[in-house]
Order: sequence, then C-alpha cells, then structure tokens
Amino acid sequence: MPDAITPQAGVHATTLGTGFTDNPYLPDVATVLETVQETPAIKTLRVRIDDPARMESFRFNPGQVGQLSLFGVGESTFVINSPPTRMDYLQFSIMRAGEVTAALHGLKPGDKVGVRAPLGNWFPYEDMRGKDIVFVGGGIGMAPLRTLLLYMLDNRADYGNITLLYGARTPTDMAFRDDVQEWLGRSDMQTTLTVDQAPEDWPHRAGLIPHVLLDLAPSNANSVAVLCGPPIMIKFTVEALKKLHFADEQIYTTLERRMKCGIGICGRCNIGTKYVCVDGPVFTYAELKDLPNEL
Amino acid sequence: MMSFARYIARGELARALDDMARGRVAYAPRREGDAVVFRPRAEGEEPLLARATVPPKGVIFPQSERLFAFIREKDPNDPGRTTVRLDSTVDIEPALIFGGRPCDARGFHIFDRVYLNGPYRDPYYAARREATVVVTLACTKAGSTCFCHWTGCGPADATGSDILLTPVGGGDEGGFVAMAVTERGCAVLEQANLPEADAARMDAAQAVHAATQAALDAQSPAPDLSATPARLLERFSDADFWRDMSDKCLSCGACTYLCPTCYCFNITDENDGGDGMRGRRLRSWDNCMSSLFTREASGHNPRMGKALRLRNRVGHKFSYYPQLHEGVVSCNGCGRCITGCPVSVDIREMVVRATQANEETPNA
Amino acid sequence: MPVLKGKELRVVGFLCNWCSYGGADTAGVGRFSQPTDLRIIRVPCSGRVDPMFVVKALLGGADGVLVSGCHPRDCHYSQGNFYARRRLETLKTFLPALGIDPDRFQYTWVSASEGQRWKNVVSTFVEKVHQLGHAPRIEEAAPYLPLAEKGDTLPAPLRPLAWPAAGTLTASLEQLREKIRAALPELDCVIGWQQGFDALHATPLFMRKPEDVDKLTWGPLNVHNLATYLPQFKNRKVGVVVKGCDSRSVIELLQEKLVEPDNVRVFGMACEGVVDVERVRKAMEPAEGAACTDVAPAAVAVEGDGLAFEGDTPVRLKLADVVAEKCRTCDTPVPLLGDVVEGNASAPAGPGPDAPPSLEALDAMTPEQRRGFWRAQMDRCLRCYACRNACPMCVCRDHCIAESRDPHWTTQEGNVREKLQFQVIHALHLAGRCTECGECQRACPVNIPVLALKQWMNRSVLTLFDYRAGVDVNAVPPLLAFAVEEKNIKEHGL
Ligand SMILES: Cc1cc2nc3c(=O)[nH]c(=O)nc-3n(C[C@H](O)[C@H](O)[C@H](O)COP(=O)(O)OP(=O)(O)OC[C@H]3O[C@@H](n4cnc5c(N)ncnc54)[C@H](O)[C@@H]3O)c2cc1C
Ligand code: SF4
Ligand code: SF4
Ligand code: SF4
Ligand code: SF4
Ligand code: FES
Repeated sequence: MPDAITPQAGVHATTLGTGFTDNPYLPDVATVLETVQETPAIKTLRVRIDDPARMESFRFNPGQVGQLSLFGVGESTFVINSPPTRMDYLQFSIMRAGEVTAALHGLKPGDKVGVRAPLGNWFPYEDMRGKDIVFVGGGIGMAPLRTLLLYMLDNRADYGNITLLYGARTPTDMAFRDDVQEWLGRSDMQTTLTVDQAPEDWPHRAGLIPHVLLDLAPSNANSVAVLCGPPIMIKFTVEALKKLHFADEQIYTTLERRMKCGIGICGRCNIGTKYVCVDGPVFTYAELKDLPNEL
Repeated sequence: MMSFARYIARGELARALDDMARGRVAYAPRREGDAVVFRPRAEGEEPLLARATVPPKGVIFPQSERLFAFIREKDPNDPGRTTVRLDSTVDIEPALIFGGRPCDARGFHIFDRVYLNGPYRDPYYAARREATVVVTLACTKAGSTCFCHWTGCGPADATGSDILLTPVGGGDEGGFVAMAVTERGCAVLEQANLPEADAARMDAAQAVHAATQAALDAQSPAPDLSATPARLLERFSDADFWRDMSDKCLSCGACTYLCPTCYCFNITDENDGGDGMRGRRLRSWDNCMSSLFTREASGHNPRMGKALRLRNRVGHKFSYYPQLHEGVVSCNGCGRCITGCPVSVDIREMVVRATQANEETPNA
Repeated sequence: MPVLKGKELRVVGFLCNWCSYGGADTAGVGRFSQPTDLRIIRVPCSGRVDPMFVVKALLGGADGVLVSGCHPRDCHYSQGNFYARRRLETLKTFLPALGIDPDRFQYTWVSASEGQRWKNVVSTFVEKVHQLGHAPRIEEAAPYLPLAEKGDTLPAPLRPLAWPAAGTLTASLEQLREKIRAALPELDCVIGWQQGFDALHATPLFMRKPEDVDKLTWGPLNVHNLATYLPQFKNRKVGVVVKGCDSRSVIELLQEKLVEPDNVRVFGMACEGVVDVERVRKAMEPAEGAACTDVAPAAVAVEGDGLAFEGDTPVRLKLADVVAEKCRTCDTPVPLLGDVVEGNASAPAGPGPDAPPSLEALDAMTPEQRRGFWRAQMDRCLRCYACRNACPMCVCRDHCIAESRDPHWTTQEGNVREKLQFQVIHALHLAGRCTECGECQRACPVNIPVLALKQWMNRSVLTLFDYRAGVDVNAVPPLLAFAVEEKNIKEHGL
C-alpha cells in the first residue's frame, strides 16, 4: 500500500490543488489581523486570507461557517460572525473548549491560520425581508446571530422591527461589548440583555432567557425568531415561543455536531439523512421535529 | 464495447495479469499469517484466489494518508513572524486490483456516490479511483455469511469493476471468462493478448453465475427490504430494541474497517519534530462505532452508548444512505462484519428484525 | 567534548529532579568530561517514568534510554523509586519480545552529590550504546512471517480433553438453566452463550426473560470470555456464566474493584476445552486456504474427545487438534469462584503455566527476526481495537489513551510503529493483570498473534514476582507493591 505519510516526490507525484476552491481539504492560509478578548472564555479573531484575489472574490451568506485551523494542532468549526456586508476581514469568535480552541486563544496578530470557508447553509435572509425579526442568543450563541443581525442593520430598510434578547451567565460572560453598546443605543432596534446572576449595579434584566422572553412577549405576526445557544436554552426558549404562538416554521436555530471534513464526506455529523455540515447548521424548528431524535 | 469478452486459461492467469498490469502496481490477495490481505503482487506471481479477509478498499482509500504538509518559514524581514506554506503533493500510482469479489468492487460504487458525486468532490479519492483498474472475480460459492443477493449486489455483479472474471471449468482444464465492463477495462484486457471467449465459454460463465445465485437463494431467500428505511426510522427511539441488538457488541471498529462500503474518516494534525515548524494533516479511517466519532468538546455525545452507535451503523446502511441515493443500500452483503465481529453480531438479523412489523408499537 | 569517538547517537535520559538531575549538575559544575549523546529530560521522580516513555523513545528512534532516580530508601517521595524499580525491571525483560536489545535501556540511582558517579554511569551506558550502534528500526526490518501459526500442528495437550457424554452434558446444562431461571428475577440479566450465525459459532446471550434461558448452550464452542461485559453493568446486579479461565478474569475484576462482589452472580461450569474456530475452519477446508471462505457445518455434535461436523462434507475432528492454545495446559478447568458450579467438578487440570507454542516460537527467533515478525504482523492491523475492547481488563474503552490527543501517545497514522505502539501499551497496561484468556487475539479480525506479547509479559511477571493474575481476590498486584529488598531483581551495575 502506498506509504502516504512520507512527503512524496516520486514519479507519480501529483499536486492536488492550491487552496480551498480547488481542493476542499486544503485551507487558504490567512493572517490574524486583530484579536479581542471578549470574555475570559471567548476570544475573537479577525483574519484576512493572504491571497488577495481569493479574499477579494470571497463571498458568503450569514450563518455559514468556516473550518479554522492551527497547523499542527487541528481544525475546528466556527461561524463567520462578521456580516457579508463588511468584508475587511472575516471574524470568528472562539469559546475555549478543548485542544484547538485553547490553541487558537494563544494567537496574536500576524500569526497564520488556515481557513476553509464558506461551508454549510445559511439563514434565509432573503425570505425574511419585510418581516419582524426576534433574535434570542445565549452565550457563544450570539456569534451566529451577530452576522445576520449586522447584515440586517446594514440593509435596515428591508426588514421590520428587530428585537434582540441576549443572555449570558454573568455580565463578564457577555461578548461583543462594543456591538452591544451600539445596539443598546440604536432606536431602530430593541435590545434587551439578561444575566443569570446579576450583580447590584447591573442595569439590565436578570433571569433566564425564556422567562425574559415571555416578559417581552414579541408578537408572532409576520415574524421570525432566530435562536442560538446551548441545547437546554434552545429547548426552553422554543417552549416560550410556542406559548407566544410562534409556528414551528417561524423558528430558526443552528445545530452543533462534532465535525471534521465540513463537506459531507467524513460521515460523523449526520442526524438521520441530514448532514449538519452541508444541510445545516441552520434549521427551522419544523425541520428539526422531522429529524430523528438524536441531538 | 458491448460484450467484450476474453478467455484466460488457468495456466495463463499470471501471465495475463502481468500484461494487464503493465505500468501499474497490481494488488492481489496474499496470505499473511492467518489472514488474506491485498498486497502488491510480484510479476509472475501466481495469485491467490481465496476471498480476502480485508476488502481492497485501502488501495483507493488508504488507512491513513497525508492531505497536505505544512512548512513554516521564518519571515526574513521580520524574524518574529513565520509564514506557512502548504504542500498538497501526493503520490498517485497507477494501480490494478485483482481478485476482489463483486461485493468488494461495488464498495467503490458506494464510495463514488459520496466522494465523487456529492456536494464536494474528493480530489484524493478521485485521483486514486481514476488511476485504479478493478479486476473482479465472480463468486462460485455461497459462504455462510454471504447475503449479497439481499442488497442489490450479487455473485456476478459488475458494479464498480472494470473487468469481471468468471471461473469456468475445473482444475487445469479450467480458466476464466474475462468480461470488460468499462472502456478502461477493454483497454487493459486488450493488453493481455487473449483469445476471445467463445459462445460455449460464455454460456459456461452464465451457468456459473446462475448456480451461485441459486445457491445463495437456497441458503437464505432474499427478504423484502423495501420497507426497511422507513421501519428503521420508526425504530429509532425504540430503546429496548437497540439494547437487545447491541447487548453483545463490544463497540470496536472491526465491522466497519472490514466493510467495503464504510467510508468514514478522521482528520488530525501531526507535527514533525518538536518545534512546530513542519507537520502534516492526516486523514485516517474512522468509524461510527467509536465514541470519539461524535463526542463534542463539551463532553456531550449524541451517541453516548454502543446501542446508539450501532443504531447509526445499521441506520446509515439500510435507511439514510438509500434515502439519499435512490434506494441503493450501503451494504453489499459481503458478510465480513459478521465473520469479523469478535462476538458475531449479525447485521442480517438486525435488519430483518427491524423490518418486521412490530406487535408492541415502538415507543417513538 | 565527546569522550567517545565516532558519531553521536541518540540517548535519552529521564532524570529525577531531586537526585540524579542534581548529580548531573554536580558533574557539570565539577567539569567532569561526559559524552554529549545524552538528551536529558527532567522528571519529578523516577516513579513518574511511565514505561511508555521508554518504549516511545525506543520505537521513535532513540538508540538508548537511561532512567536515573534517587537511591533506594532515599526517594524524595519516599517510595517512588521502589515502584519504579519494579516497573522498569518488568519493562527491561519485555523489550526483547519486540526484538529490542534490553541493553539499550538502563535504570540506575545517582544522588545529587555523586557527580563522579554520574559521570561514570553516563559514560558506561553511552559506551555500551555505542558498542550496539544505531538502533535498528522495527518498521525497516525485513518482514519475517514463519508458517501461519495455526497451520502448524499443535503440540499435544498436556491434559486429557474429553467432554462428558452428550446425556451428562445436557443434564448439567439443564441444572444450570434451572439455577439461572431461579436467580433471574433479582438480576438485570444473566450473560451466557447461544448458537450464533452458524453451527460453528456461538454468540453471547443476554438472558432477561425465563424463555431466553432455553437458548443457553454449553460446550466447546463457548469461546468468548463474558467477564468482559461485567464492568459496564455498574451498580446493577448481573449474572455471568463462566468457564474456568473466565473465572480468573472475574477474580481480577473483583480484586481491582472494577465490579462489586454484591452485584455479580457467577454461574460456573467445568470446562474441557474450547475450540479455536480458526483451526476448525482450516481443518475442514484444507485446500484453497480457507482464511475467509466460510465453512458452514449444518450441525456440530460433541463426542467426548472429538467433534462431529455434519454438512455437505461430514468431518470428525479431534478436540486436541483444534483446541484453543490456552486449553492445552489449563490448570483451572473448574471455575475458581462461582455461586454455582455445575458439571464435572473433577475435570482434570493441566500443569499450569508453561511456554505456550506461540511464546516458544517467539523465543526461538533472533531479535532481528522478532522485529521482522512484528513488522510483518502489525502491517495488516486495522486499528479497530477489537483486541482492546474484547479484553476483560481493558476497562478504559472510550477513554483509552490509544485515541486520545492529550496525552498524545499515538498518531492516527496507519504505520507499523503506531500500531505496534498500541500493542505495547496494551501489554504494559496488562502487566500483572492479564489472565491470559486470549480474547485479544481471538477477537482480532485479521488474526494477529497479539497474545504472544502478553504471554511474554506474564512470564516476566511470574519470574520476577512469582505472581499470576486472577487467582486470589485479595492478592496485591505486583506492580502496585514493592519490596525494599527485591528477591528477583538484580541491580544492573552501572
Ligand atoms: C456549525 C457549528 C458552528 C460553530 N460555531 C462556533 C462559534 O462560532 N464559536 C465557538 O466558540 N464554537 C463554535 N462551534 C463549536 C466549536 O466547533 C467547538 O467548540 C470546537 O470544535 C471544539 O474544538 P476543540 O478542538 O477545542 O475541542 P476538542 O474537544 O479537543 O475537539 C477535537 C475536535 O473535535 C471536533 N469537535 C469537537 N467538538 C465539536 C463541536 N461541538 N462542534 C464541531 N466540532 C467539534 C473538532 O474538529 C475539534 O477540533 C460551532 C460548532 C458547529 C458544529
Ligand atoms: S458489531 Fe462487532 S465488530 Fe462491530 S463494533 Fe460491535 S463488536 Fe465490534
Ligand atoms: S456505517 Fe458508520 S462507519 Fe460505516 S459508512 Fe456509515 S456512518 Fe460511516
Ligand atoms: S455491512 Fe457487513 S455485509 Fe454489508 S457490505 Fe459491510 S461488511 Fe459486508
Ligand atoms: S484486533 Fe487486530 S486489527 Fe484490530 S487493533 Fe487489535 S491487533 Fe489491530
Ligand atoms: S463534518 Fe464530515 S460529514 Fe459532516
């Protein structure tokens, strides 16, 4: 059997592509421009693909993800949380969880990473035009919402009322502070923050997301709700939305599954016939209910 | 190209193979210890005709392979910084696989649908598949765990092959009818300079196909599996059923690594040396019977126990894959997962029992 | 300044922080001239040196490995080096099984003040390694595949092998079934065997309902060691049917508190030997090499010391010719523990440990042949880990270090080194725990003789510590104990 491990230089040497566009396993090399320590556990990386032509032609839709890699450590999936309307850099926000995420937290501007993107499906932002949008984000779940929210703010006239409910465990666990400050100040959207444990001087809400949501009671008329967060939060938030008479088709969320290839081949991310990496990560609650119960 | 058939006398086989494999590495079954595995064959070597313990999928989908190497270099202008170069060079040898059985060759067809015709094309697989000629040996015996005839495969199924060889006649008198089933197969067969297979021999080959098929039917009539995809979904939440099916399973990966259709893999990085300046990204066989396959960083695992993992293996082969691929099941009935399983978990039994209407309605 | 002429070799030293590292320092401060081949890795204590450190270094291309700690009785942690001595000595006796020259590995004691001694130790060891030269790599050895092991005729068993007449056997089985039915209500399930996919193959049976018990079989086809399933029944009451050898695994599990005595009911039956299915296959289809071409007898009948296979070609095989290797010498045919022991309680025992044929075969090879042997054998390893998952004492399973990234012992490369490394991990982790049930090898779908490594290890443990695993629930495993003066360990004079 061919020893595929030793670097090859024999007569049959073949080069399989130069980047993601001609070899879906081959990342584009990118450079970290900036890093932001969002919370003790979340760090944001802003990166640009080194090949200017590739960066120039890079297109994606809000909700699509990338495989970010640190060579020698590995690859992990993160949503591109900058919007397609702002292409100075691609932004990823990374919660420290294991091997790759811990290593990514150690990066500084100038360091090299690999990017395979865009992957997966996206929020149907075109179908959402003209509708009221309710965003509900918990913890790192704010990342996928951010890209869609910013896209909509950049195309503000196309959408109706925008409501954001963002929750975290404590105030220090809230990411995207600058954005949040701006959103709080905007009159064309309604922003509510909540934390599980509120200190004395916390000017916002305290309490679990589903409770606060019931309190806010957004209308279901001509609306869609977009939720992201830990599974337990999703579960109870969906229950709250059902009480507010949102139909299953009006609720969007994203799924998480251990991923490797990101292109529907390696076989691990399926739920029944759906491969989260290519058929997801975005699903309506109606679609989720049709999937086998394996979350 | 219709019915391009040649005859290889038994004594001519090694020579014919040499000619067909000209310019290629020929893989053929070889006995190693108490197993039969595919290994590069030496010129003139008399090939073993026994069915191999491990299918030849590794020739096209190696147990592990380098996706690319990374090489970091210090930036000459700014010594604090490094740049990275990626090298995706791989060695793609022209190859020939001799002596796989129809169930083995059809495995490549199951791969093709995912690796070549899915949303993304896999360039590594594509290059090796393109470079490999598959010469398959039709079966003359029904092994006790063979059930190819249940799955759409069969003892003379040529799907995935370039050339199908059928043994005809016995002993030294005998030989093989070689039928090319692809253009490439024709070209390769032409190289061997063989006589045409005459009508009598073609009839003999037909008879061999029919006899083996009959033996299989006699051993285990093919059940109707048309309802299986739906039934497996109905069974999805039937915890008792999957517990009963998986009680004895050890949750190793023998069944999947022996399976000609199992195509899952892992991707990991390795450094060469301790300074992180060079290394490679590997892909290596992986399988859904392993806990790590789906364990997430949080520790959450959607397939926590072996019952849920076995459910995926059976479900993928007999429900999800056929739903995505026009009813084609991703099992060719080779039976290797049964014979190779240390505790004889029997996929036939699981599929049949899942398919049977259940009196106690599954608590879905 | 290299003291030794010639090319530098790669020698790795694991030095304890408190003594030997200080000793090396003292030597440096004293400007004693030393060979420069040594790469020093500081460890908190010689007791921290996992034998895998040494193996990984040697398999990875080191030409020699030296471990040095505080002198006995002088350990900073008082006993670390006593444990280390046992582990490292065990390792030293194991290395030849892989074809690695044991002289490439030494362990010794040097205190912080012994600069001169450190110099001598290093010089002597490095000189020895230079005499041996570059370490040959296993993956580069010429493949050596002597005749298929099981194709060779098996030496005659050292005990009589004869199952009771069919009637007696059925009567004992019926008694066993009765006892199981009676116990079933208070148990989650009872694990036994039933017929598998053909008459030659039994398969584990999980009995939950009384009617399941009817399927229970007993006889020479019950090859699996069902003790493997016990740890997964944590906090649940479970019954298990055992052969004599299987009972030793239960004892070992109890000894290591991996199962709770109150939660397991053991149903024992006396055993007259089980078959090696691979041997049966071969015996039944000697032509055209039957490795995977299935042999499907319509029925198998046990006739005392033989087995009658009915089918297209009826065959009668002598049990002695197709019996599993371990049964030839088995000295525990009657389970050593069991709430219920059925059957012929006076089943004749064999003489106990001797050199099993596959160990003898390994013994007979030169080191170079052994390297070639493992290279050729491991080449076809699928990394399926059936060997691990079938092992009753491999209880880590989903958390095994074979697949973890942290610690990162093995890569996912499909090469001989990584594959063999796992087999060494298995053998080392089983040192003093392996009951030689042979499940690892039986489970291997490509028939790699991995048991031989454990047999080698078991012999080492027996020789060094006079210990066999799985005999006494209350025994202390040898690698979890030490003696201040070790009876069978000679210091290696560095
Ligand atoms: C569609 C999608 C979008 C995501 N977006 C974000 C995001 O924007 N920000 C963020 O912080 N996290 C996100 N995650 C989760 C993130 O991918 C994991 O936390 C991360 O892969 C853990 O990697 P690790 O190496 O640190 O963990 P380890 O436990 O060491 O995992 C090893 C490898 O397994 C895989 N893996 C393990 N857990 C997961 C997982 N939950 N999802 C996918 N692959 C996994 C990865 O390949 C990972 O490198 C997303 C996951 C998915 C599936
Ligand atoms: S079915 Fe058999 S081979 Fe497959 S994981 Fe289970 S025990 Fe292993
Ligand atoms: S059965 Fe499992 S390992 Fe095999 S292809 Fe399907 S998901 Fe992959
Ligand atoms: S699932 Fe089993 S029988 Fe089917 S092709 Fe795979 S190994 Fe063969
Ligand atoms: S059972 Fe055999 S093939 Fe599988 S990992 Fe163990 S040695 Fe390798
Ligand atoms: S991540 Fe590989 S198939 Fe989805």
